[in-house]
Amino acid sequence: MNLTITNLCKQYHHADGPVDALKNVNFSVNKGDFVTITGSSGSGKTTLLLCLAGLIKSTSGTILFNDFRIDSASDKQLSGFRMNNVGFVMQSFALIPYLTAIENVMLPLAVSNIDKAQKYNRALELLKLVGLENRKNHLPKELSAGQQQRVAIARALINKPTLILADEPTGNLDPALSIEILDLLKSINQSQAITILMVTHSPLASQYGNHKIHLTDGCLS
Amino acid sequence: MNVRKLVWLEFKYHKSQLISGLLAITLGVAVIVGIRSISVVSEKAVAINLDNLGANILVLPQGSNVDNYYTADIDAPTFPEEYVELIATSSLAGVDNMSPKLTRRISINGQKIVLTGILPKSELASKPIWQNSGLFGKTLKASCGPNPSNESLGYKDEKLQRKSIDSLAPDECLVGYSAARRLNLKENAAIVIEGKTFRIAKVITETGTIDDDRIFAHLHIVQNLLGIKEQISAIEIMGCCNAITEGLLGKLRNILPDTKITTIGQIVSTQVQTNKMMNKVSFVFLLIILFVGGISIGNFMWANVNERRKEIGMFRMIGFSKGIIYRMLLAKAFILGVIGGIIGYIIGTGAAMWLGPEFANLSVRPLPGLILVSLLISVAVSLIGAVIPAWVAGKIDPFINMQEG
Ligand SMILES: Nc1ncnc2c1ncn2[C@@H]1O[C@H](COP(=O)(O)OP(=O)(O)OP(=O)(O)O)[C@@H](O)[C@H]1O
Ligand SMILES: [Mg+2]
Repeated sequence: MNLTITNLCKQYHHADGPVDALKNVNFSVNKGDFVTITGSSGSGKTTLLLCLAGLIKSTSGTILFNDFRIDSASDKQLSGFRMNNVGFVMQSFALIPYLTAIENVMLPLAVSNIDKAQKYNRALELLKLVGLENRKNHLPKELSAGQQQRVAIARALINKPTLILADEPTGNLDPALSIEILDLLKSINQSQAITILMVTHSPLASQYGNHKIHLTDGCLS
Repeated sequence: MNVRKLVWLEFKYHKSQLISGLLAITLGVAVIVGIRSISVVSEKAVAINLDNLGANILVLPQGSNVDNYYTADIDAPTFPEEYVELIATSSLAGVDNMSPKLTRRISINGQKIVLTGILPKSELASKPIWQNSGLFGKTLKASCGPNPSNESLGYKDEKLQRKSIDSLAPDECLVGYSAARRLNLKENAAIVIEGKTFRIAKVITETGTIDDDRIFAHLHIVQNLLGIKEQISAIEIMGCCNAITEGLLGKLRNILPDTKITTIGQIVSTQVQTNKMMNKVSFVFLLIILFVGGISIGNFMWANVNERRKEIGMFRMIGFSKGIIYRMLLAKAFILGVIGGIIGYIIGTGAAMWLGPEFANLSVRPLPGLILVSLLISVAVSLIGAVIPAWVAGKIDPFINMQEG
């Protein structure tokens, strides 16, 4: 897997005038990299992740995932790309309140035609990986914050992604829990050679990356 | 885990909110079903009742109408029984048979029943159907042929073969089919009516008319029991058709100036008009319901979508297409529609079955065909109401979870 970003620019249109969120960003990521993205608030970190996932259209520049042009792909192609290659982990966990832990993990497979037992077994496997198999029938509200984020990480892994995009995954967690989650991500990164791009504010978290990207006002530095 | 299960789990999770979304459509369907159930029965009842009256002229108290007569309210007006004699002694040509009647709504064991006083011999055993009960003797002949206006309603006039009730002892009564069932009465059992004990001489086989809900006893006994001495509610006259066209009604009016005298033909045409109006009313209801029900379901779905913005954003982010989001919401609307239709049908039918006998003296039965209609209306309205919320849901940004903390 290779991800190459060339001259990436993103300009938001706003009633108060255009906002240049990303300016001429260039970098590339290889299989198994753990990339941390830091920068002050409003520097364009989330915008970068959204462009990489194809969730928003970049203004100019190219984003190449292997030989797939994310910047110019159609919505349908991008849906497929996300479904097959990308796992998301977010600050807010974004678990579905009426689904149990294992159902939340299976969620991305809801539209695939893999058979039921296989979905279940894969989800159970992942819950084991994040150490929550004994909480598989708990609803999100019956889990602690750290446990919820671990379920979210298991969910991000269910489609066997090559790339995990994490936006401040420890933003809602205290330092001890943060370390737990970061260790988990690191072990997934190392054992399965899954590439991780992680946006973070915390200097502690940024230590986990083998590549560090810092954004200042939309520019790489 | 698949999309269908996802929809179902969400539906169950938010089931406490259902009432608000379903209220309008459920009540709407209930009203339509209720009106329809009653009007179907009343249409049939009018035709069958009048045709089986065995008479073609009805003498009623001044200022009353056929409805008063059927509902037999406590304060329904009456007139003297001696009017029967007046007609009889006037030697009017064309009056073949007269049955005076007194009808009153009474209550037996908490059930509302119409007690009807009849005179044996003169009371027509109307009613081709009564004859099957094997009650009665001699054949009664009318001096004219079948009434073509009745035939057009699909009911054959069988007046020509009618028989009269020969005898009814003072302590005997006849019980209509539904009344017997409601009160759990058997033939030859005893029953206390207004303080007097009667023997049930016969439970009349089902006729499908108001007679089914009635108890019949000797006119003079009923008059005594109710304290309405020598008064009656109506005289049913079997008149010769030719005599009617030649002015029998006018002659009768001369003899009984303070009564209302109508022919069955007139009554039928008024009833047909009333039923037409009822049908129009239920059509207007249908339109209002389509509107209010659709808006209320739409409003409910809108709130549901707004509450679930992040959730729907998450679905989109992990690769659910807009089409899947639309389908999920329309599936939810479909479930709502099915539930609304079923509950509406049950409430509407229940209300009609409860109110029919209470207010219109009609035994209403469930119309299974209306289930399908209820479901169709309710599901269609729900789906239409959900279109805009579904479209809004499709527009939710997939990255909403990343941008809104
Ligand atoms: N939809 C939008 N329309 C206009 N401007 C936007 C929009 N979204 C983001 N911006 C602007 O783009 C810039 C980058 O935003 P972004 O969310 O990428 O920052 P961030 O680095 O993730 O910040 P934080 O650390 O606070 O999450 C900000 O100045 C922001 O105001
Ligand atoms: Mg951000």
